[in-house]
Amino acid sequence: MPYLLLIAFPIMMGASLFMIRKQTQLTLGLACVIALAQIVLVTQLPIDTPSRLLGLTLTLDPLGRLFLITFVAISALAFVIAWMLPHGEHFAPITLVMLGLISSIIVFLQEPFVVALLLVSVGLVAVLAIIDLPTGSRQLVERTALAAALKYLVMMTLAGVMMYMGFVLVSIYTPGEFPGRISPAHLVLGLLAIGFGLRLAILPFHSWLPDLARETFPMVSVLVIGVINATSLLFLVSALQFFPVIVLENARGLTVLMWIGAITAVYGALLALAQPEMRRMIGALLVSNSGMIIFGIASTSIKGLTGALFESFNQLIVLALLFVAIALLERPDGRPTNVVRRDLLWRWPIAGAGLIGGVMALLGVPPFGGFASKLLLYEAAAQLDGRYLALFLAATSLGLVALVRLAQNRLLGPPEEQPVDEQPVLLGTTELDRPAERRLDPEPRGLAIVTLVLLGACLVVGVFPQPIIATIAEVVQGLTFVRA
Amino acid sequence: MNDTNWVLVGIGISGGLILLLRDWRLTVPALLINYGCIAAFLAQQQFLAADLVISGVELSSTVLVKVITGFATTSILAITALTFSREYNQENLDEFSLAELRRAARRAQRERASQPFHLGDYVVPFWSLVLAGIASLALPRLYPIGSYEVDFVWYWLGFTGLFTLVTANDMLKIGLGLLLIAGSIDMLYTAISRTVQIFPLAMLSLMTIVLALAIAYLSGLLFSRLKTLELNELYKP
Repeated sequence: MPYLLLIAFPIMMGASLFMIRKQTQLTLGLACVIALAQIVLVTQLPIDTPSRLLGLTLTLDPLGRLFLITFVAISALAFVIAWMLPHGEHFAPITLVMLGLISSIIVFLQEPFVVALLLVSVGLVAVLAIIDLPTGSRQLVERTALAAALKYLVMMTLAGVMMYMGFVLVSIYTPGEFPGRISPAHLVLGLLAIGFGLRLAILPFHSWLPDLARETFPMVSVLVIGVINATSLLFLVSALQFFPVIVLENARGLTVLMWIGAITAVYGALLALAQPEMRRMIGALLVSNSGMIIFGIASTSIKGLTGALFESFNQLIVLALLFVAIALLERPDGRPTNVVRRDLLWRWPIAGAGLIGGVMALLGVPPFGGFASKLLLYEAAAQLDGRYLALFLAATSLGLVALVRLAQNRLLGPPEEQPVDEQPVLLGTTELDRPAERRLDPEPRGLAIVTLVLLGACLVVGVFPQPIIATIAEVVQGLTFVRA
Repeated sequence: MNDTNWVLVGIGISGGLILLLRDWRLTVPALLINYGCIAAFLAQQQFLAADLVISGVELSSTVLVKVITGFATTSILAITALTFSREYNQENLDEFSLAELRRAARRAQRERASQPFHLGDYVVPFWSLVLAGIASLALPRLYPIGSYEVDFVWYWLGFTGLFTLVTANDMLKIGLGLLLIAGSIDMLYTAISRTVQIFPLAMLSLMTIVLALAIAYLSGLLFSRLKTLELNELYKP
C-alpha cells in the first residue's frame, strides 16, 4: 500500500523529530532529508491506479503528483531557509505533519467528505506554526500573532463546515426531484463558494491573508498561504468533477462567482496600493491573485481552469521567493531600527532584486512564470466578456503602481552611505572624538543563493512553460464539467 | 405531554445555555449535556443499525463513539479552564517580556474588579437565541431536508454555534461555538447522508477533538500572555 506510506511516513517522522526539536539544526537537516525521501517516494508511486482502503478510494493523478512534488520540494527548501533564518521551535515537525495531511488530501481527492475534514485538520495544525517561537526565545508571543492565529482557526473551521455541509446536501440531491422549487444545487454552490472563498481569501473573506503574511515566519506563510491554498484549489476542481450537477445547474451562480473573482482581483490590487508595509502589500496582491484564480475555475473553460491551476503552481515558487526576499530585507543590518530604510535595493541588492522580480512574477509581467498563466486567464476572460478582461487589466495595472510605490518608498531611495568629504582634522582632535566606523553586514551568501535560485526558477517556468501547461491541460481536458 | 421528546428539549436547552451564558463553569457542562443528548437522539432515531448491547440496551457503536468524543472534548476544555495558565518558563524571558507580563496581570486584575454583573451584557445573546429558535423552528418546514426532528437539531446546533461565535467575548466561548457548529455537520452527515461511512465519521470525531485541543492551546497561550481570556484585550494597543 504505497499510498499509505506517502501519508504515514512524514507524519511519523514529524512525530519523531518533535522529540529532538530543541536541536534545531539537526532537526532541520533530518527534515530536509525526509522531504527528499518523500519526493523519491512520490516519483515512484503508480499513477492513476486506484486502490481501496476502509471503503475509500485512494489514487494519484499526474496533476496531483506534479503539485505534490512541488509541495515537498518547497518544504525541503523551507527547511534549508529555516536553517539560515530563525523559525519556530516546532517548524520542522509541524511542516512534516502538514505534508502528511496534504499528501492524504491529494490521494483521497475522490472522497470529498474526508478531504473537507482533512483540510480543517491541516488548518488546525497550521495554527500551531503561526504562534510558534524560535528555540530558546526570550520574547512573548505577539498579541497580533495570536489574533491572526485565532482568525485563521475560526475561518478555516467555518470553511471546512461549509464545504462539508455542501457535500452532504449534494450527495442526497437528485436532479429534478423538486420541480418548481429552487434547486438545492444553488444552495450547495453557495455553501461551497463560502467555504472555498474563506480558504482562498476571496472578497469578503480575505482579511486573514494579509494578517497572516504580516505575523508569521516567512516559510510558514509560504506553506500556509501557498501550499494549503493550492491543495484547496485541487480539491475544488476535484469536487466539481465529482459532483458535476453543481456546475450543470448553476450557470448564473458561476457567473456571479466570476464577477466576485474579478472584483476581488481589483479590490486586492487597490488594497495593495494602500498598504504601508511590504508583507501586507504582498498579502493584498495574493488576494488579488486569488480573485483571478477563482475566476478561472468558475469559468469552467479549458483555458480558465488551466490558467488557474498554473497560476496556483507559479504562486508556490513566487511566494517562496517573495518571503525569502522580504525576510532578508527585514534583517537588522547594523543601522538604527527605528528609522524606515528607503535604500534597501542598494543595501541588499539580491534580496531587493528578488522582491521586485517576485512581485513582477506575481503580477504576470513577462518573462516571469506568472505571465503564461495570467495570459491564459486573460484569454479566458476575453472569451467570456470583455469587462472581465478590463477588470483584470485594471488589477494588474494597479498592482504595478503598487510595485512602483514600494520601490520608490523602500527600495530605490538614495543610498545612506554617501561618500563624505574628508573633514580636516581640527586642532585638539583625538581618535576618540571621531565617530566610530560603521560595519554593515554583507548580504548573507546562503540566502542570496536561494533567492537567485528561486528567481531563476521563476524565469525558467516563464520561458519554458509548456511542459507544465501540457500536464495541467491534459488533466483539465479529461474533466467532465469543462465547457468546450 | 407524553409526546414531548425530552432528548430534543435537552439539545435545545443545552445549546441555548451555551449561547446565553458567559461562565465556563456552566457552559462547559452544558456542552457535555449537549453531546450526551445528541448521542441519545441518534440512538433514539436509530439511523445506524445497533451492533452493541450494553446493559441490555442495543446501541450502534457510532453512538458510543459520539459519547466518547463528547466526553473527551469537554474534558479537554474543562481541564484547560481549570488550569488555564500555560506559564512561560519565566526564567527564560528577558526583562521587557517579564515587565509586560506583570503589566498584563495588573490590567486583567483591574478589569475583573471593575466589571460587575451587567444585565445589558446578555441582551444581544438573548435576542440571538430568540432568532436561532425562530430560524430552527421555521426552516425545517420551509426547507425540509430530513425529518422535522433531525432538521431542527442540525439547524439549532448550527445557528446557536454561529451566534455563540458572533457574540463571543472570550476565547473559550469561540471554541464552544465552533464545537456546536461541528456537532451540526456531524448530525447532518450521520442522519441525512445516503451512505454513512465509518472513516468520515471517525474523521469528524477526530477533528472535533483536535479542534478542542487547538482551542485549549490558544486559550492557554492567551491566558499566560494577557492573564485573561477576554478577546478585547487581544486588540488593545
